[in-house]
Amino acid sequence: MENPVIEVQNLAAGYDGRPILRDVSFTVRRGEIFVVLGGSGCGKSTLLKHIIGLHPLLGGEVRIMGCRVEGGGQDERDRAIRAFGVTYQSGALFGSMTLLENICLPLEVFTDLPPDARRLVAEMKLELVGLKPFAGYFPADVSGGMKKRAAIARALALDPAVLFLDEPSAGLDPVTAADLDRLILRLRDTHGITFMIVTHELASIFAIADRCIMLDAKAQGVIAEGSPAALRDTSDNPAVRAFFNPRACQTKN
Amino acid sequence: MTLTLPEICTAEAVAALWQGQMAQVACMGEGDALTLDADAVKAYDGAAEALVIELHRCAATQRFAIRCRDGAGMVAHTLKVFDPAVFADHSRADVPKRNAHIPVQLGEAAVRIWDDARDQLAFLGEATSAIFSLIIRPGRLRLRDTMLCFERAGMDALPITLLIGFLMGLILAFLSASSLRQFGVEVYVADLIAIGLFRELGALITAIILAGRTGSAFAAELGTMKVNEEIDALTTLGLPPVVFLALPRVLASMLALPFLSIFAVFAGLLGGLAVLTVIGVPSVTYWQHVVSALTLANVCIGLIKAVTFGLLVGMVGCAHGLRANRTADAVGQAATAAVVGSLVLITIFDGIFAVLFYVLNV
Repeated sequence: MENPVIEVQNLAAGYDGRPILRDVSFTVRRGEIFVVLGGSGCGKSTLLKHIIGLHPLLGGEVRIMGCRVEGGGQDERDRAIRAFGVTYQSGALFGSMTLLENICLPLEVFTDLPPDARRLVAEMKLELVGLKPFAGYFPADVSGGMKKRAAIARALALDPAVLFLDEPSAGLDPVTAADLDRLILRLRDTHGITFMIVTHELASIFAIADRCIMLDAKAQGVIAEGSPAALRDTSDNPAVRAFFNPRACQTKN
Repeated sequence: MTLTLPEICTAEAVAALWQGQMAQVACMGEGDALTLDADAVKAYDGAAEALVIELHRCAATQRFAIRCRDGAGMVAHTLKVFDPAVFADHSRADVPKRNAHIPVQLGEAAVRIWDDARDQLAFLGEATSAIFSLIIRPGRLRLRDTMLCFERAGMDALPITLLIGFLMGLILAFLSASSLRQFGVEVYVADLIAIGLFRELGALITAIILAGRTGSAFAAELGTMKVNEEIDALTTLGLPPVVFLALPRVLASMLALPFLSIFAVFAGLLGGLAVLTVIGVPSVTYWQHVVSALTLANVCIGLIKAVTFGLLVGMVGCAHGLRANRTADAVGQAATAAVVGSLVLITIFDGIFAVLFYVLNV
C-alpha cells in the first residue's frame, strides 16, 4: 500500500495543558478528500491547528509526507511545512497587497524564480481558481467567496501535496459554496492534491468527501469514521445520527 | 534551438532555465523552431507549468514554431489545464501601477491633507453637537467608560509623566544655571523653571506624551472596532458612535491632560530643586522664588492650554480611528496619523496661544 500523506497517531490536543481531544488516530491517502466534521466546539479547528504545528501537541505524533511536524528537528519540520498549504476561515489574505502580490509573496521568499516567472506562476494559480481578472484587486474589494478562492490560490503557490482548509464554505451562499466544492474536486483531479477539510456543512460534505471522521466534544475524540453516506445510513451512534438527520431527531424529541 | 527539461523540473531548476535560456528564446522569430524536450520529466511543479506556458506564449507572439517531445505527458497536461492565450501580454495590465511621478504624488498628498482637514472639521461639528445633546440629556454620557478611559489615559500615564517632568526640570535648571551663574544670579533659575513649567512646558510635554500614548491607542482601538464591524453594529442599534465611543475618550483626554500636567510641573520643580541644591542654593530660597514668580494668570494659562491640548489629542485620535479603512494596515496608518496630526495641531495651537496672550498682555 502507498505511504499515507497524513498520519496522525494517538494525538492529544488542547490548550494550556488542558486536553480537548485525546487518542485521535487516522491516515489520509494521496489524492483523497478527507473531511473532519462535527458540531461547534467539538475540536475540529483545534485538531487542524495542532496537525499543522501552530500549537504544540499534548501527545502523539503527526507526520505529513513522512516528516514529523513536531519532535523531529527543525529540518524535518521545515520539510513537513513545505509539503502543505493552509487556508483559514477568513481567508487571511494580506490586506495591503493585491491578490497577485499575495500569491507572489511565498514565491519571492522560497524560490529563485525571476519576477516575470513569479508573476506568471501567480497568474496561473489565480486562473486555476477563476480569479485572474481580479489579480490587481485588494482583498477588501472582493467578495467573501473570492477571498476564499484567492486564499486557496495563495496556498497553492508552492505546489504543496496537501491542502488544509478550515471551514471553506462558512459564510458563503449555497451557489458560491457549491462553486468552491467544484474547485476542490477539480484541483484534486488535475493536480492530485490531497485535501483535509474541516467543515460542518452537510451539502459540502456529501459533495466532496471521500472519507470523513466525526469528532465529539463529550467523547473528546473520534466517534465515527467512514464515507459520509455510510455514516448517515449505518451509524448507530446517536450523535452521528443527530448530525446527519438533525430535523428527524428534533421531531422525535 | 532545443530546450531540455530535467528529470526533476521544479522551481529550482526552472529558475536556472528561465534566467539562462529565456534571453535566447526572446531573440527567436518567424522561421525559427524551438524543440521543448520534456521526455525525461518525472516530477514538475507550477514553475515548470509556467515555463511551458511562457514558451508557448512567446511562440505565438514571436511567430516561431514550437515542437514538444512529451513522453511523460507533462506538456500536454499543462496545456489541458491552462490556455496560453489567457496569459498573453495584454492581460498583464491588471495590476494597478503605483504612480511614481512627483507632481502626481504631491497632488495626491494635497488632496489627502484637504480631505483630512475636512474630516476633522466634520468630526468637530459632530462632537460639538454631541456635547450640546449631552447638556440637554446628561444621562447619555457613558460615565463608566469615561472613567475607564481616564484611568488608562491619566492614571496609567502618571509614572512616565513624572519621570519626563522631573528630567525636564533637571535639564532646564542645568541649562539656565550655567548662564545665570556668570552674573551671580543663579537663584533666579527657580523663577525661570516655575514660569516655564507652569505656563508652557508642563502642558506641552504632557500633551506630547498623551498624543504618543493615548491618541494612537484611541485611533487603533476605534480602527480595530471598525474592521470588526462593531461601529456598524452600534450605528444600526441607533447608538451614534461619536456619542457612544468618541465622547468618553475626548472627555477623558480633556480631564487627563490637566491632571497629568500638574504632576509634570511639580516633578519638574523637584528636578530643578535637585540641581540648585547641588550648586548651593538653599531649598527654602528656591521655594520662596517659585512661589513669588507664580501668578494666577500663569497657572490659568497652563491649565487652559492643557485642556485645549487634551481636547485636540482626544478628537484627532478618535476621528482617525472612526474613519480608518477596514484593513489591518489601515489601523496602523490611523494610529500614526493620529500622533502626527495631534503634534501638528498642538504646535499650531501653542503658537496661537502665544500670540493671543502677548496681545492680551498676560
